Amino acid sequence: MSARLAGLAVLVPALLAGCGKAERPPAGIQGDPVRGRLVLTQYACHSCHVITGVTGPETYVGRPLEGLGKRKTIVGGLPNTQDNLVRWIRDPHAVDAYSAMPNMGVTERDAIDISAYLLSQ
Amino acid sequence: MPLNRKRLVIKSILATLALAGITAGATGLAVLFGGWYNIGATKQHFPLVYSVLNTGLEYSVAHHARDVQVPPLGAPAQLRRGAAVYGAHCAQCHGGPGVAPLDFGKSMQPTPGPLIDAAEHWRTRELYWITRHGIKMSGMPAWGVHLSDEDIWATVAFIEVLPRLTPQAYREATAQGAAP
Repeated sequence: MSARLAGLAVLVPALLAGCGKAERPPAGIQGDPVRGRLVLTQYACHSCHVITGVTGPETYVGRPLEGLGKRKTIVGGLPNTQDNLVRWIRDPHAVDAYSAMPNMGVTERDAIDISAYLLSQ
Repeated sequence: MPLNRKRLVIKSILATLALAGITAGATGLAVLFGGWYNIGATKQHFPLVYSVLNTGLEYSVAHHARDVQVPPLGAPAQLRRGAAVYGAHCAQCHGGPGVAPLDFGKSMQPTPGPLIDAAEHWRTRELYWITRHGIKMSGMPAWGVHLSDEDIWATVAFIEVLPRLTPQAYREATAQGAAP
């Protein structure tokens, strides 16, 4: 019985730790990922993209953004740097004129924080 | 002795059920009146709450739309009309290919979301029912009061061709035609 309780005591925090991580940005990443997770919901990013740690619809209008930090390139073969990601978030049509992703009017600060969250995933 | 034992078992079962019911009720009331659940639109639902509400939505729409008769859809004039209605009343919250919703549409929770993939998630009769009756506590209005039945069907017809429109074709479709 006490062994089982001890097992739970280990398991529950481990499960809770699995969701909503990103308290601090990965090395070399600017911005506040915690704030980024909040503001991305206010630009409806999660209405088209499945985003780890953000509750929302099961949608595949845009690409799922899981594990973005581990990808080598982002849209159009751009190297996966925070600068490029911010540029893409703020003005997709400057990167790809035919993209169906709208310009969502994201401010620079918000784009930096959003990219910090996405790159920490 | 066997009879007494049987009684004891039944009593135990009933007592356990009553206790479980009281505990569940007390927990529910505590959550309700404690105000702990954050109703703010900056805090997402717990995934379980979200999926329960979403599942309820899907089954409710499927049930209530079951008897809707779908007319022939897709005539060019109807699609033009649907594009005009969409541009006038839908794009503000749902956006379109390459076009963002307005700020209030972006920030609403639950997010109205794009309608580019709506026809993949919903049957035609369900799209009509949702447009006509709206959805409680989501911000989706009941357009049946404000639009004619023909306009609602025209909008549904346009939503069904949305996935095939490029951003440019969408802009052209919604630019022409006067808003109703």
